[in-house]
Amino acid sequence: MIMKGQKRKHPPEEVDVSDRSSPMWESQRQFVFSVSLNKYHHSQGLPEPSLRRSVLIANTLRQVSLEAFAAPSVDMEASPPPCSSSSGLLESVFTAKHHPAETFSNSHSALVSCPTVSLNGLSYCAPASNAHMSVKDEDEDWGSISTDSDFSLSAVISSILTALDSTIDGSSQAAPRTPLRSLENLPAPTDGGVGWVKQGFRGYGGGWEQQEEGRARESSTELMRCSYLSELTVEDLFQDIDSSLLEMDMGVLGLLGSGGGCPTGDDLLRYLPPFSSSPSHPFSLSLNQNLKCLPSLSSFGPLSSSSSSPTCLSSPPFSSQNHGLDLEHLMEILVES
Amino acid sequence: MGEDTDATPTLNHRGFLPDHNYVTEADIISTVEFNHTGELLATGDKGGRVVIFQREPESKTEPFSQGEYNVYSTFQSHEPEFDYLKSLEIEEKINKIRWLPQQNAAHFLLSTNDKTIKLWKVSERDKRPEGYNLKDEEGRIKDLSTVTSLQVPVLMPMDLMVEVSPRRVFANAHTYHVNSISVNSDYQTYMSADDLRINLWHLDITDRSFNIVDIKPANMEDLTEVITAAEFHPHHCNLFVYSSSKGTLRLCDMREAALCDKHSKLFEEPEDPSARSFFSEIISSVSDVKFSHSGRYLLTRDYLTAKVWDLNMESKPLETYQVHDYLRSKLCSLYENDCIFDKFECAWNGSDSVIMTGAYNNFFRMFDRNTKRDVTLEASRESSKPRAVLKPRRVCAAGGKRRKDDISVDSLDFTKKILHTAWHPNENIIAIAATNNLYIFQDKLNSEMH
Repeated sequence: MIMKGQKRKHPPEEVDVSDRSSPMWESQRQFVFSVSLNKYHHSQGLPEPSLRRSVLIANTLRQVSLEAFAAPSVDMEASPPPCSSSSGLLESVFTAKHHPAETFSNSHSALVSCPTVSLNGLSYCAPASNAHMSVKDEDEDWGSISTDSDFSLSAVISSILTALDSTIDGSSQAAPRTPLRSLENLPAPTDGGVGWVKQGFRGYGGGWEQQEEGRARESSTELMRCSYLSELTVEDLFQDIDSSLLEMDMGVLGLLGSGGGCPTGDDLLRYLPPFSSSPSHPFSLSLNQNLKCLPSLSSFGPLSSSSSSPTCLSSPPFSSQNHGLDLEHLMEILVES
Repeated sequence: MGEDTDATPTLNHRGFLPDHNYVTEADIISTVEFNHTGELLATGDKGGRVVIFQREPESKTEPFSQGEYNVYSTFQSHEPEFDYLKSLEIEEKINKIRWLPQQNAAHFLLSTNDKTIKLWKVSERDKRPEGYNLKDEEGRIKDLSTVTSLQVPVLMPMDLMVEVSPRRVFANAHTYHVNSISVNSDYQTYMSADDLRINLWHLDITDRSFNIVDIKPANMEDLTEVITAAEFHPHHCNLFVYSSSKGTLRLCDMREAALCDKHSKLFEEPEDPSARSFFSEIISSVSDVKFSHSGRYLLTRDYLTAKVWDLNMESKPLETYQVHDYLRSKLCSLYENDCIFDKFECAWNGSDSVIMTGAYNNFFRMFDRNTKRDVTLEASRESSKPRAVLKPRRVCAAGGKRRKDDISVDSLDFTKKILHTAWHPNENIIAIAATNNLYIFQDKLNSEMH
């Protein structure tokens, strides 16, 4: 199933994968990567994707991304290594951009590409300008990227991919029906926390603490939890929550909430029921006016209306205009920090 | 293999539209299961219905004609439900049906959807009492003054009526989707397995179950493996096996511990590094596991192969059968169109000498373990006239040398997949579910097989 608008590539046929220096291997790796990413995006739109399928896609995505960085010297022969991996990532950005309905894709694609850019020390906003590039041209632009940053890049990207993995399965976040609504009547803040566990965003309380942790790791932790956790019953949630995890979660959002951090965290905060505010306004947005509204979380519906963020969306269909705004803003945030 | 199979008339019990290309999704058969004697065959579909077929007793006038299967009963087992807490609809699709061994005149079966297991009683009524003292023939109460003498009601034959009633509902025990149920050989307990947990139930107790396997990690981000199938040993009530998405099988002994997270035996074939690809893990995911009737062997199905394992040898399978190896070079496309995630089932014959599994293009394959011969057959209307002998099919590589009637890999229809098959426990009768059609094939009497 090829999504509409996606450039239909002839799938590279199976090659001996042990031969990494083969150019076919690289093209196949990129193909698998982009298809996996698309599948993940698609499953975001499903109310209840199969856990087995999601886990398999996540594992494949992880393996593909790890293999991309496993042999950088080999990659260099085939093509500029950062290009291949980064271009693969950018490919996903571009392909994701073709699907306005998949609101989450853009945020993640941006996430995937942003660290690339920031870690490589480039100050220009690559995704926004690259949006106009063809898929093939990206290799040239990345030619200047040094190989020194490859390994740090790989670490960041794999962690982000794990974040992507986490949201693959069981997540109903992107569904128009907001599961949150069923928990609105629960008394805050505990239930707010429960509600957020429900959504998989365990770190709801984290916005109010400051801790330094790898931001990609945190977002990945967050996102990892959300999709798998969406299947939990309320009883499960209560059993599974323990303070140690909660602390880590709080650290996650603490980092994210500081200085604009990772947009993902900002968006999470945006939708979180206020930890300290009155229960009668479960989703007050007064906490952090600088929070951006990630399209991925737009499924939580009415929260966006009073947001000060220009990119906030309240419905899954995502305009391309907001794509650009989001990416630019994300780029700025990352470059600043 | 030498097996000639008769095609009995296709039993399409759905009352489908003349245009065969239109398939009502609710009619797609999702499970097929013979009972322990083979007299009854149950099918479940995506619409939550169960249809039971009964084999007609062999006719005395034609001693060599074998009984055919006719519809015995149809009932709605599961209805679509809505989980209000998660705002999710629970599909009514029947994932598995398992028969209980018959202990009295009635038949019992377990049917399950994603969340709820139900025990159904199927009983016959072919007599009714007549001659009540207090009621007349229409059931109206008689005027007592008209009753002058007493009579004993007598049982008079009536048209056969098959009554199906739900006896137990086992609900609210699974957070994830139930993929397997298996009745224990003690005939008192059964287990249900979802993606991450396996629960043990007593057939009479519906309000609680014991969790015996839990592979859910403390942090869901560490989740890399799910349970794909589970089954009890046919004779040892303490043993069961479950398969995972990573291609491993775990044999567990319930006597060792209450929670069988620690396996007794782990069956895993080491990966061949030269055959490694991006899809190695996906195609190694076990989609079905079945104990042999003897209890000595395990049959597993992953995407490209079927493997027979000896319970005494954990290091590698005893036999590996390539079901459709021609797909190995197409894995990229199959990943793209999601076919790589299809879950094929597998089956043993009664004597554990032949194994069977489905494939694409409505093909299914049988492998004789003794002679090492195999055959590919097709379940389709065009090739299955009643009483016709099925013609073996062959798939050739694209561009390869083609014989007449061969089909090229590129011409395979991947929307026609045979996921569910069942083999009669004693005889060579097989049931094949092809989307919304059920095919029942019987072996010709003078077959030289086995």
